[in-house]
Amino acid sequence: MKLNVNTQIAITYLSTRKKQTLVASLGVMFGISMFIFMQSLMKGTNDYFEKSSFSSTPHIRLYNENKVANTHLMDNAIKDASVKILANPKQLKQNLGMTNPYGIINLLRKFPEVAFITPQVTANVIYTSGNVQVTGNIAGVSIVEEDKMFDVQQNMISGDFHDLDKVNNGILIGKGIADKLSLHTGDNITVRSGEGNDMTMRIVGIYATGMKTVDDTRSYANIVQAQNIMGKDRSYVTDIKINLKDYNQAYTVARRMEVITGYKAEDWVQANEQLKTAFKIRAIILNSVIGVILLVAGFGIYNILNMTIYEKMKEIAILKAQGFSGRAVTSIFLQQAIYIGLMGGTIGLLLGFLLSFGLSRVYIGSSTSMGSLKYFPMSFYFPHYLEAICFGVLTTFAAGFFPARKAAKVDPVTIIRG
Amino acid sequence: MMADIALRARNITKYFHDPVTLQVLKNISFEVTSGEFVSIVGKSGCGKSTLLYVLSTMDTDYEGELEIQQERVTGRSLNDLARIRNESIGFVFQFHYLLPDFTCLKNVMIPALRLGRLSPAEIEEKAYEKLKLFGVEEQALKRANKLSGGQQQRVAIARALINDPAIIMGDEPTGNLDSKNTGLVFDLFQQLSKEYGQTLITVTHDEDFARRSDRTIVMADGEITSHGK
Ligand SMILES: Nc1ncnc2c1ncn2[C@@H]1O[C@H](COP(=O)(O)OP(=O)(O)O)[C@@H](O)[C@H]1O
Ligand SMILES: [Mg+2]
Repeated sequence: MKLNVNTQIAITYLSTRKKQTLVASLGVMFGISMFIFMQSLMKGTNDYFEKSSFSSTPHIRLYNENKVANTHLMDNAIKDASVKILANPKQLKQNLGMTNPYGIINLLRKFPEVAFITPQVTANVIYTSGNVQVTGNIAGVSIVEEDKMFDVQQNMISGDFHDLDKVNNGILIGKGIADKLSLHTGDNITVRSGEGNDMTMRIVGIYATGMKTVDDTRSYANIVQAQNIMGKDRSYVTDIKINLKDYNQAYTVARRMEVITGYKAEDWVQANEQLKTAFKIRAIILNSVIGVILLVAGFGIYNILNMTIYEKMKEIAILKAQGFSGRAVTSIFLQQAIYIGLMGGTIGLLLGFLLSFGLSRVYIGSSTSMGSLKYFPMSFYFPHYLEAICFGVLTTFAAGFFPARKAAKVDPVTIIRG
Repeated sequence: MMADIALRARNITKYFHDPVTLQVLKNISFEVTSGEFVSIVGKSGCGKSTLLYVLSTMDTDYEGELEIQQERVTGRSLNDLARIRNESIGFVFQFHYLLPDFTCLKNVMIPALRLGRLSPAEIEEKAYEKLKLFGVEEQALKRANKLSGGQQQRVAIARALINDPAIIMGDEPTGNLDSKNTGLVFDLFQQLSKEYGQTLITVTHDEDFARRSDRTIVMADGEITSHGK
């Protein structure tokens, strides 16, 4: 073996104290594997929720926002000195349709970031079957484009969504609506809008996204059908849904679209505010747990090295008498820390991967209420493994540094003299 | 012809402050020429070990000046001193002090591995030769703590010689040896000084050992009372 003498000594010390070395490595192993396991689980879960939010939310939604009537024009000029006679401003009854929607669509299509764009008519409706009523909303869409954007197909639990384009008065309803009204594909359902009349429609399919708020309220119809329900003409569009090539750009692109079109552009982050907050809180909890585990592992290493140095005081003095510098002694003990870290770290990486892999194989059911989630959502994200190595090295280094420096400072004469 | 000076001490003075201030070394000045075999004798507690630690560069807490191989070492950094010890000084402790987790062979090899002048294979060969000199080659692959005191002491002396140091210092190096092995060590020391020009400075209680060396320095109460010339 052509190892450096410091390394040889470090390894000998580690191997003559196998038990302690093992215990210290186990500490690191536990910390690293937990780090990987929990990061994988968190990222997997977050990715799943993010992805499933995209299964119903576009990256950007452009719509006509209801504005509060500005009845107190005088306030702008003279502030509180004005006397208000009309006290309660009401929402202005506006046409929720957009002006020249197809012109806007053509304009937005020119954005290089835009991958997909489709118009939609949304209306609040009441579903009726027999004498049971359920409130909800209907989305008038081009179902083929909707499928491209949100993968409608994977959520279908019965029927065929293509029938929306073929069947006159066809409607695709959420599983929640179907359950409450006890309806099946092929049954009829009455839909009543605020503006229009009752319309009897035929259910061509039932879908489930796993998100209760969607499945309990949302139905899909052909866009022309929805316009009819509302008693509007063919140019009536309430929303323009846009998907980008990179959803991380949604915020900036949305702001530019607002300026150009004058309509409200809501990006997916705004639409899923609570999701992002949940991510953040989970990250904080996770990082504190991992921090504590690594801290404990670090103390394990610190402890064993401190003990070794205490026991080896005399030997450190001998080494120094024979010409080992403080730096060489530091290296001997720091290397011990690093080998403990490497050993524990490597096994930890492997164990972390195996745990993650194992859990990703755990079947958690295929009930439609879970949407498409069948297995634990684990992500195998390479940077997590790099991070784990960095944290492991950092922890062992910090834990080894102080004992090693103490060893370097041993005064050989004091020890040898006794 | 004036021989080279291997070691020169000028006005070395040292105090211990604990428990009470005590001057252990008082203005010690002397020279040792290259290839000389010097013994230091004196009553127990007169400061021989303390002086040897200063000469070995391990103890830096003293007043005065020390030169080794015509190079001033007083005031040098600890790293420099470590290198000087590794290269030029072989030290044999009063008690054997081997590294118990290593084999005897490894114990002898370590200072040479540290120096890194020879390949590990050459070092192993050389270490084995040194063990042979002292008749402990049979113990080469045993752990150091499995040997008797006398055997350990001989391994420790072999270790001090591994880097062919210019100066070999010993604090009662034969204190644990029987008369036969004391004779063996003495003969070897003499050979090192006569044939290889290595300098030897040994503290000893053995009057016979001291008498047969080139020169005997006598200490009393922290002072040199006789330079033995
Ligand atoms: N660390 C110390 N602190 C205080 N006094 C010491 C210390 N080491 C040695 N001494 C004292 O210094 C004197 C010289 O000791 P030492 O050099 O060991 O003597 P020798 O080797 O000649 O027997 C003794 O009186 C001893 O008690
Ligand atoms: Mg002594």
